[in-house]
Amino acid sequence: MKKTKQISAILMGALLTVGTGYASSIKIGFNVPLTGFAAADGKSALNGAELAVEQANAAGGVNGKSLMLVVYDDQASPKEAVPIAQKLIEKDEVIAAISGSYSGSTRAAAGIFQEAGVPYIAAYAVHPDITRAGNYVFRTSFVGEVQGRAGAKLMGETLGAKKVSVITLKNDFGKSLAAGLKEAASNYGITIVSEYEYGIKDRQFGPIVSKVKSDKPDAIYATGYFFTAGPLVSQLRAAGITVPIIGQEGYDSQKFIDIAGPAAEGTIITTSLNRDSASIETKNFIREFESKTGNKADMVAASAHTAVKVIVAAMRKAGTTDKAALREAISATSVVAATGNISFNALGEVRKDVQVQIVKNGTWREYSVISDSKLLAPPNQ
Amino acid sequence: MLYLELFIQGLVQGSIYALIALGLTLVYGLLRILHVAHAALFTLGGYIGVIVSNATGSFTLAMIVAMLLVGFAGMLMYKLAYEPLLSQPPYVSLIASIALFIASEEIFRIAFGPYGLSYQTPPLQGHIELFSGFYLKYAEILVMGLSTVLMITLAWLSMRTRTGVAWRATVTDPDMARAFGVKIQNVRYLNFFIGSSFAAAAGVLVALLNNLVEPTMGSVASYKALAIIVLGGLGSIRGTLIAALLLGVLESFGTIYIGHLLDRDAIAFAFLILVLMIRPQGLMGGKL
Amino acid sequence: MSYEITLMTTMAISVLFALSLNFISGFCGQISLGHAAFLGAGAYTSAMLSKASVPFLLTIPAAAICAALLGAIIGLASLRVRHDFLAITTMGVGFLFVGIIRQQEFFGGEIGIAGIPSSGFGKVGFMLICIGLALTFALFSLYVRRSWMGFVFKSIADNEDVTRVLGIDVSRYKLIAFIIGTGTAGVAGALYAHHFRFVGPDSFGFVESVSVLAMVIVGGIGSVWGVIFAAALLSVLPMLVQFIDDYKLLLYSGLLFAMMRFSPDGIAGLCNRLFSSIPRRVSANNGDKR
Repeated sequence: MKKTKQISAILMGALLTVGTGYASSIKIGFNVPLTGFAAADGKSALNGAELAVEQANAAGGVNGKSLMLVVYDDQASPKEAVPIAQKLIEKDEVIAAISGSYSGSTRAAAGIFQEAGVPYIAAYAVHPDITRAGNYVFRTSFVGEVQGRAGAKLMGETLGAKKVSVITLKNDFGKSLAAGLKEAASNYGITIVSEYEYGIKDRQFGPIVSKVKSDKPDAIYATGYFFTAGPLVSQLRAAGITVPIIGQEGYDSQKFIDIAGPAAEGTIITTSLNRDSASIETKNFIREFESKTGNKADMVAASAHTAVKVIVAAMRKAGTTDKAALREAISATSVVAATGNISFNALGEVRKDVQVQIVKNGTWREYSVISDSKLLAPPNQ
Repeated sequence: MLYLELFIQGLVQGSIYALIALGLTLVYGLLRILHVAHAALFTLGGYIGVIVSNATGSFTLAMIVAMLLVGFAGMLMYKLAYEPLLSQPPYVSLIASIALFIASEEIFRIAFGPYGLSYQTPPLQGHIELFSGFYLKYAEILVMGLSTVLMITLAWLSMRTRTGVAWRATVTDPDMARAFGVKIQNVRYLNFFIGSSFAAAAGVLVALLNNLVEPTMGSVASYKALAIIVLGGLGSIRGTLIAALLLGVLESFGTIYIGHLLDRDAIAFAFLILVLMIRPQGLMGGKL
Repeated sequence: MSYEITLMTTMAISVLFALSLNFISGFCGQISLGHAAFLGAGAYTSAMLSKASVPFLLTIPAAAICAALLGAIIGLASLRVRHDFLAITTMGVGFLFVGIIRQQEFFGGEIGIAGIPSSGFGKVGFMLICIGLALTFALFSLYVRRSWMGFVFKSIADNEDVTRVLGIDVSRYKLIAFIIGTGTAGVAGALYAHHFRFVGPDSFGFVESVSVLAMVIVGGIGSVWGVIFAAALLSVLPMLVQFIDDYKLLLYSGLLFAMMRFSPDGIAGLCNRLFSSIPRRVSANNGDKR
């Protein structure tokens, strides 16, 4: 009896607190992994988004109202993301939403937002099908194929690699990047000599490392997140493999360097955040992020920050919270953000330069910038 | 040469599985409980190892402290979680164990953050070149060496000391052992202590190999270890060891050669189901 | 209102899924740690057919048949192993299912199948279908429990060997339990696919299997009402109390552990004990107070 009383008391209290005033703020939904394997990226993305919201509110809010982020933990799982999308739309009645999460959950949620006519921006999820959900879905980061193509150009032209081994993370992220690479490889004289796949929970890559070693490639294109790339790169180097290792934005975090240690030196990645950027936007972001959180800025934080900025700019321009008008304003965006100059094509894909960073002396530094607009043109449908 | 490398890697991985699975089989043999939360002790060991190592700079100290502390943690787990449930049907302790495991993953994440921890100056990072192109990391040698030492010590203890004999007697026939004056309670505590400290050793070693401890690092280990002890024949220590090493090698070759059909974890279970269909009591299990 | 409808639908699907496991594990005592594989089999079947323009209602029996076929195979295999071996084998089946699905592009691979078309009945209509199916199976379960088949199931659950000695074809009944339970899970899967509009390998993994088993056990293994209540509650609880997001899983597992520790026969057991102080008609359980 006591137990049931206690449970009902807790439930009542919960329902009451949840009900209390959202008052007159403008709500933006945010699905992000705060628990589970992707929690590290999620936390970072959340910080980036929160920073942007604070900055917008400090500058007087939007159209006189303050901005509020409605955050739900989707554990980077599509299964969780769908009910969250439904909740954001139906219960919280957000006027727009951002995905601070990985491709799997973003893709699942995108369809829901599209059907409900709520603008949805994927901050850094790369899977091509996300924007194909419809004209209400946008992406502020590179679609997988584009980044893959940039990687091909980087390896073929800049590094002069002819034979490449590909190590692919078996999920949306890894596979779409690898697909992009494979598509563009022959244009840059690259032959893919072998491809190996691994699962997101793997940390021991012994068999793959041995096999790659025996393949003797000129360069290795390895997709993953910092918690897989760190061990992978460390193990590749420990096995005596000295050829360049090319990663992507999944590596883009100080944690990668912490884990791989000295083995991280010389790792090159294609990403969106240039630590040595001359752009004021980027410099400000990096500085303010570090002072707010005490951590170094990374790509996911910068991308989430950018996504919020895009919505804020669009809202100011549209002057209304009508979702259709907002969508129009977003698609006509031209804004300078931490990750570069943001504008969208007809599909909602961003057109911007690819930043190439390298690990030098234990931190990420600029290596080069790829600006080939034809190469980097995202798909149109 | 590639095959040799794959084989050695399989043994390294298998040694780690063996250290983890051993604790699981010890508990099962004694109490017939599927101790899923065992993997939480593995993770705890890893965390303690990194923290102590970063704080004191000594890896050896880290290993010893981890093994001791986690051994006690295991005993505590028995006392608080399993002892009250001994009279319940087996699925109760199974679900309780699973709940405990999930809770522990969350506690690690809340306490230590989701980013995971790494060694500041990872020890034993070098490698030796045995012959042309064949590298063996010091860390890998340590894994195989330490596992062997621990196993042999355990075997010796259980065969040659009074405590060991009392323990084996309790596993075989608790009532008889009790009649001979063996304190069952102490045997159980010892059981959990040893199993848990071995898991801690595995945790410290894995942290060394990957240079990363994460809250979720135990999840794969937990159910794979279950597959291993069933494969070996529930309750058979020898069976568990063989199954662990076998699985390590199988996975090593499997990821390369049948990786396109089946993902790595599924290989373990596919193999398990196959064996169970032919031999329902596992590789070395006794009569059902 | 729209959100509440979504929640009701989610609850109905979870209830159906949990009841299907209750049939196997509760009634017949076969603990299954891989039940999500059958939800998945049904979901994928329904999703792929639906995307190929098969009308939603037709995909339901297809999903049921597919899941039941898989269930029959697993059931046959499970006859070889007992108790703890069975639990682990079923767990293995779950992993195998996910492991195979992930690798085949035919099933969408790692990425799964998105953009599953709507059921065509509108939100409310779909909700009513889900509730209807859940209710039907609940009634069916209650009926079976009082029938001869239910009696045999209980006997097998209590003591398999004695049951066999009594001359009952234990294998046949176990198989029947499996087929019915997994087929129903397949139906739940079809509903799942059209509610969430997305299926992927991660949706049907070990965590899902454990969650549904938790629902059954927290409800009170074998108790139809208990399982309905527990499934309904546990399926939407995370969404209701999302403000404790960061501690959500901790709370969950904590509650689950507490339940096992203090009331292993679940909510049904709790209720039984609460009301056993009131004199009632004599039933098997009334005697023992724990």
